[in-house]
Amino acid sequence: MHKFIKVLLLSLIIFAGIANAAENRSSEENSLKVEKQEKSVSENEFKSKSVSALIKDFFKTTGIYAIINPDKNLKSNDGKVYSSFHQSWGRVIMFIIIFILFYLAIAKGFEPLLLLPIAFGGFLANIPVANMTGDEGMLGIIYNMGVANEFFPLLIFMGVGAMTDFGPLLARPRTALLGAAAQFGIFGSLVAAAALSQYTDIFDFTLKQCSAISIIGGADGPTSIFIASALAPELLGAIAVAAYSYMALVPVIQPPIMRALTTKEERQIVMKTTRHVHKMEKILFPIMIIVLIALFLPDASPLMGAFAFGNFAKESGVVDRLSDTMQNSLINIVTIFLGLAVGAKLEADKFLVPETLGIMIIGLAAFAVGTAAGVLMGKLMNKMSKEPINPLIGAAGVSAVPMAARVVSKVGSEEKPGNILLMHAMGPNVAGVIGSAVAAGVLLSIFN
Amino acid sequence: MEDVNLVTESLKFMVLGMGIVYIMLSLIVLLTNLQAKIVAKYFPDKPNDPIGVKSKTVTGSSSDTAVVAAIVAAVNEYKKG
Repeated sequence: MHKFIKVLLLSLIIFAGIANAAENRSSEENSLKVEKQEKSVSENEFKSKSVSALIKDFFKTTGIYAIINPDKNLKSNDGKVYSSFHQSWGRVIMFIIIFILFYLAIAKGFEPLLLLPIAFGGFLANIPVANMTGDEGMLGIIYNMGVANEFFPLLIFMGVGAMTDFGPLLARPRTALLGAAAQFGIFGSLVAAAALSQYTDIFDFTLKQCSAISIIGGADGPTSIFIASALAPELLGAIAVAAYSYMALVPVIQPPIMRALTTKEERQIVMKTTRHVHKMEKILFPIMIIVLIALFLPDASPLMGAFAFGNFAKESGVVDRLSDTMQNSLINIVTIFLGLAVGAKLEADKFLVPETLGIMIIGLAAFAVGTAAGVLMGKLMNKMSKEPINPLIGAAGVSAVPMAARVVSKVGSEEKPGNILLMHAMGPNVAGVIGSAVAAGVLLSIFN
Repeated sequence: MEDVNLVTESLKFMVLGMGIVYIMLSLIVLLTNLQAKIVAKYFPDKPNDPIGVKSKTVTGSSSDTAVVAAIVAAVNEYKKG
């Protein structure tokens, strides 16, 4: 009996709480145009209502009601009118897209570490009424905390630096040029995006937006997010999703291009084993990078600074605890926040726009062109140098560490079993990271 | 933005961007080669072999002691029995 009363009381309290919350919500909704002062008054005063009125009011606060009856006056956070389509069908379509992303992340293993938080962020962002992406919403807070000010991508870069071994690059420095060639993907697609906006009516990107989109060709998630939030925050969601989806698709996109541009003999080239790299070289390398950046391209210093610091901490060998934190705990925590914050940009009114399609197409082209440029440079270097160079490793010049290098190794060993190209491909691969950070710095310096 | 041709602008960006990327990475190539030479000169690579030999002898001696210990223990057991 005692227990029954307790349960009854508890359920009463919960019901009262829900009713109260509903009352607050509906009054908030009504008071969009009303003065702030009045709003606080209406919140404080509680008018007695019949049960049917309460239920009716409560229904008006539900997501079902918001989806069926779009509010014509609702504004999104950037002040634009939230169109009825985006409020109703748009949200439903976004839920479907998000479930596709969940499927890709869980069943297909597409970069799940980022795609899953991004998709879930998008899931939450499209909840009607709750305004999760507003300045006071959970996603909005996370976004303002670290993405709007470009902070989270830098922390990720620090972790990537702490995970990167420059050994293969130091052993054969010339392969860095392959990482440079692959950045043609960025600038080639920049021209393509500009041409599409200039000569067609389908897309109308500004130069800043073109630059932000083309950086997808750098195949580097944090760099893409960094540049997008600096140059075109309105396109951030689509750019991040495109970048990470294509990075996950590297094993599908790259091999056909690699095979098309090389002959069988070239693919079968066996490369000499690399020399031993002294520990001192590895310690000096990040310092050298920073000196170069300081002298020639200070605009790239946030990205390269974080990257070099992570790498320096790792190679110094005396702060294993710090480098361990950067590689694991820190990068994991930031990945959670970064994913959710990027997901906030998957709101229907920002994602379901024609531009998204353009970003997807240009991004794919950027990836393909980058791969092709790397492979062609590989062919050239093979012709020029005395040492044989397998042109396949040029494909690893698009960053996407270490996925692209693994793909190269796989294609290489398919052509000639036992020919392990992995370590040779890691050189251009890490050079690609530097290359895309440099390209990002150049783009930033143009618009600064 | 009307009077600016996006394509010519982006082509200029491409020339600048690819130029800088190539220059930076070429500088990295030059400097790493230089650095490798300097390091090789002033911090000669300690040959790997002594470490390998040393570790080999260490493992060898430890297994020897283990064998000796086992024999001693066995003999002791035998004596006791």
